[in-house]
Amino acid sequence: MVRNSSIERKIMSGISKKLFEEWREIAQKELKGKDLENHFWITPEEIRVKPLYTKDDLNGLNDQLENLPGLDPFLRGPRATMYTNKPWTIRQYAGFSTAEESNEFYKQCLENGQTGLSVAFDLATHRGYDSDHPRVSGDVGKAGVAIDTVEDMKILFNKIPLDKMSVSMTMNGAVLPVLAGYIVAAEEQGVSKEYLSGTIQNDILKEFMVRNTYIYPPKESMRIVSDIISFTSKNMPLYNSISISGYHMQEAGSTLTQELAYTLADGIEYVRAALDAGLKVDDFAPRLSFFFCTGMNFFMEVAKLRAARFIWAKLMKQFNPSDPRSLSLRTHCQTSGVSLTSQDPHNNIIRTAYEAFAAVLGGTQSLHTNAFDEALALPSELSSRIARNTQLILLEETGVKEVIDPLAGSYYVENLTKEFIDKTLLLIQEVEQMGGMTVAVSEGFTKFKIEESAAKRQARVDKNEEVIVGVNKYINENLNEEIDLLVVDNKKVISKQIQKLKKIKSERDNNQVNLAIENLKKGAESNYNLLSLSIEAIRARATIGEISKVLEDVFSRHKAISKSITGVYGSAFSEDTSFNEAQKKVTNFAKKEGRQPRILVAKLGQDGHDRGAKIIATAFADIGFDVDIGPLFATPEETSKQALENDVHVVGISSQAAGHKTLVPELIESLKENGGEKIMVVVGGIVPPGDIEDLKKAGVSAIFGPGTPITDSANQVIDMLLKKNLSS
Amino acid sequence: MGNFRNRNFLHNLEKEYGSIKELSNKIVSGDIRTLSRCITLSESSREDHQFFSRKVLEKVLPMTGNSLRIGISGPPGVGKSTFIETFGTFLIEKGRRIAVLAVDPSSSKSGGSILGDKTRMERLAQSENAFIRPSPAGKTLGGVSRHTREALLLCEASGYDTIIVETVGVGQSEATVSNMIDIFLLLISPGSGDELQGIKRGIVELADLIIVNKADGSLKSEAENIAREYNSAVKLLRPTINNWNTRVVTCSALENIGIEEIWSITEEYIQNFDNEKNISSHRKEQFQKWLREEITQNLNKQIYSEKKINDLIELYEEKVLIGEVLPSAAAYEIVKKFLKK
Repeated sequence: MVRNSSIERKIMSGISKKLFEEWREIAQKELKGKDLENHFWITPEEIRVKPLYTKDDLNGLNDQLENLPGLDPFLRGPRATMYTNKPWTIRQYAGFSTAEESNEFYKQCLENGQTGLSVAFDLATHRGYDSDHPRVSGDVGKAGVAIDTVEDMKILFNKIPLDKMSVSMTMNGAVLPVLAGYIVAAEEQGVSKEYLSGTIQNDILKEFMVRNTYIYPPKESMRIVSDIISFTSKNMPLYNSISISGYHMQEAGSTLTQELAYTLADGIEYVRAALDAGLKVDDFAPRLSFFFCTGMNFFMEVAKLRAARFIWAKLMKQFNPSDPRSLSLRTHCQTSGVSLTSQDPHNNIIRTAYEAFAAVLGGTQSLHTNAFDEALALPSELSSRIARNTQLILLEETGVKEVIDPLAGSYYVENLTKEFIDKTLLLIQEVEQMGGMTVAVSEGFTKFKIEESAAKRQARVDKNEEVIVGVNKYINENLNEEIDLLVVDNKKVISKQIQKLKKIKSERDNNQVNLAIENLKKGAESNYNLLSLSIEAIRARATIGEISKVLEDVFSRHKAISKSITGVYGSAFSEDTSFNEAQKKVTNFAKKEGRQPRILVAKLGQDGHDRGAKIIATAFADIGFDVDIGPLFATPEETSKQALENDVHVVGISSQAAGHKTLVPELIESLKENGGEKIMVVVGGIVPPGDIEDLKKAGVSAIFGPGTPITDSANQVIDMLLKKNLSS
Repeated sequence: MGNFRNRNFLHNLEKEYGSIKELSNKIVSGDIRTLSRCITLSESSREDHQFFSRKVLEKVLPMTGNSLRIGISGPPGVGKSTFIETFGTFLIEKGRRIAVLAVDPSSSKSGGSILGDKTRMERLAQSENAFIRPSPAGKTLGGVSRHTREALLLCEASGYDTIIVETVGVGQSEATVSNMIDIFLLLISPGSGDELQGIKRGIVELADLIIVNKADGSLKSEAENIAREYNSAVKLLRPTINNWNTRVVTCSALENIGIEEIWSITEEYIQNFDNEKNISSHRKEQFQKWLREEITQNLNKQIYSEKKINDLIELYEEKVLIGEVLPSAAAYEIVKKFLKK
């Protein structure tokens, strides 16, 4: 007998069969009749998690186990010393109102232990509109800071030394004028661009998949990405030219393997674009960075980050880099926003702490922890402090920074890492076989896959298969806590921005501006580097809106085609009483009214998060509603016109970005003016308690916060319709 | 069947919706809200609603008939909505007012459906000179026909001079639709494999103009090839009607290429049609067909909704199954019984 045959080795190195059988016997007894064989947890990633892992589960994982941090394939960490030498960067994403107010807030945070900045821009800026544009009136200063010119940028970073502070900017659509604004603001602060460190998100592919804050079509957008990579690789050696993001995919409802697979496939696509633009892989690959979401599936999240580094190193080898840093994946993580609930919101502090812990065990390079009130509004001063302290306590008090990759060798985590790697590679292969991510995105394939997962997840939650404390279990009925929330007076911000815009436009040399804009136009039509032309225009005091507009004239503005699915949500519900109840009521309504109840699910303003709207549409259709879907980025008047023409019974507004306070009353007004006073309006999404009263006064019939089971909202809507019907 | 048996139903409906006179005046004055509510009434499965909407329609009937009626069909994914967006916007720039009636077949088991059409006609949807109305096809057979016809007439009375009826080219609704429009455009696209197989032959026979969409980028030459194939195929598939041979063109709705040509062929077709056979006499024929269709459907509905007859049918069914009676003989007896009641 050959001594080192594989079976032999397994028995030799594993635990003895006899011992395992003993355990099985006792376990079976404890289960009191339930079958041990079926005692598995099937995760949404379709990974079968066993109740017990043993030494045997490390068999065949030598690839994985014989690794050290800082060395290819970097599974155990991108740096050799990790947090034992330099802790992760505490980088809190923030921004609201005007540059003045945000700047004050940043300085305060930095004084209190934050170590990096992360700028949140408002949706008007994301979509390339100045604050005085009529389409953005509800969005200015709301979900981030309003920036129109380099003067705003200078105020934003006032007294923050940009040569020392690493700044991350979440910007994808209007990425050219915003990055240019940052560069020129630094320049006028006396800091030359080669000293700038930080990250620009610049990840347009995922925008087409989930977040929808794009401006130009995919092809033109990809050109902008490679222009930026090429400019920064030559001129800004410390700067991360892109942050390839899975965060928004998980937020939109993807599984963790989908998040990783589609993000890495995006990354490969950017590498190809940069190579096509004539760059050498080692010139830019070391400056690619990533951004993942850390949700509540604790060990899975740890496994995800380990798997991410392993797979990236493997994938990058196809481009034959000689610099090992080209193989190493560095990432930022943010705790999950969708895991936050508006019910019993203090629970969110605890959720965020566990998620942060998972991100650190997974070896993230920087981390944002969410504030507990973010399911209700933008973070307040208190909630921001708690969020920051969550990280400081983790860093300073738990000892977690003293050992590198502490979960390595765990039977469970190593096995999970392996499973994760295998599943992810299959998903990447699927995309690659389609011709890569640009093709998959253009065909809506990945978006569709993510929406499917999102609908399944929603059904699990609504059926209580997935427990959310305070939402579908341990509900605190008598909860009536007052929470101080941050309120942004959006009208005040607009008027202040308009003032500043007027002033700048009257003081600048318009000839110089026109020349710079004209050059940008020519550059877009040919192949000059658009970032360097944007820098010229920004220096001349052209606005974000002006620069975006001239590029739009050449490239056009992208319009998304939305595909919707039916059946996924409903099929999970064959025996659920509240689902059936809603269906019965709908049938009853249809009999009485002569048609199905009809709802227009709409988004207002520049908020492109359409996960909620999509899920509602699918679920309501499965319940029996006729569902009209409104286009993204609609004005209240456009939505009203559609509601009237389609003669719907209800308009359901999905709001994730605080624009509702201005936009929903305008919609109701417009409906009334045009004879649609009987059309009911309901709002779902993130609505601060303080807004509820105002919205109800304006005529909103019902408001559904995050975590409301869809069957509940459907039942409520149909009840209201039936009641209205009987009385009319 | 709602309140139809209630003798006051007309009165109640007038109270809820406004008087017939008021409604018809508002429709003629172009009030969108009234137009859309009347379309709802005519789509309703309630007989009192249908009756009421017919009353309104009869009032505005003299104001109808002044539009160009265009049918557009094609398999899913061919780019119909994008085409209507581009084509419609082009016509609005020419000073026309457009109404789009989109029949959506995506009804699910629950009776609900997703009608996402307008998201793909964003620009057109925003225009003051466009009215877009997606309607679920619903479950009732023959529903599409009556609803769409009535909606079409209501839109004409409201002053829309171009009515586009959009259907998905997979079912029988196209034949019905072709019987209510002046010109029938069929959209097809490259890149879907076995091209001629993808579409039912019957639909190709109905087309007055075949448009190969997506003739842009990498699909351009493929689109041209398909156009050639179709060009020779239609000669066999479709006879010359009124001295018109079906034409085949390529276009890119996405890049706004070929739209002008489609419009000029449409104009040419209408001109030719009018020369050969007056459009209004053609429409009269369509009305005759409509009448006969309605009679059949009406009878059908009445026979099957009568309990006595249903019992009788069941009785005969058994006899038919054991071979005691021929189906034709059974039918004869049942109808006779029905007519005698």
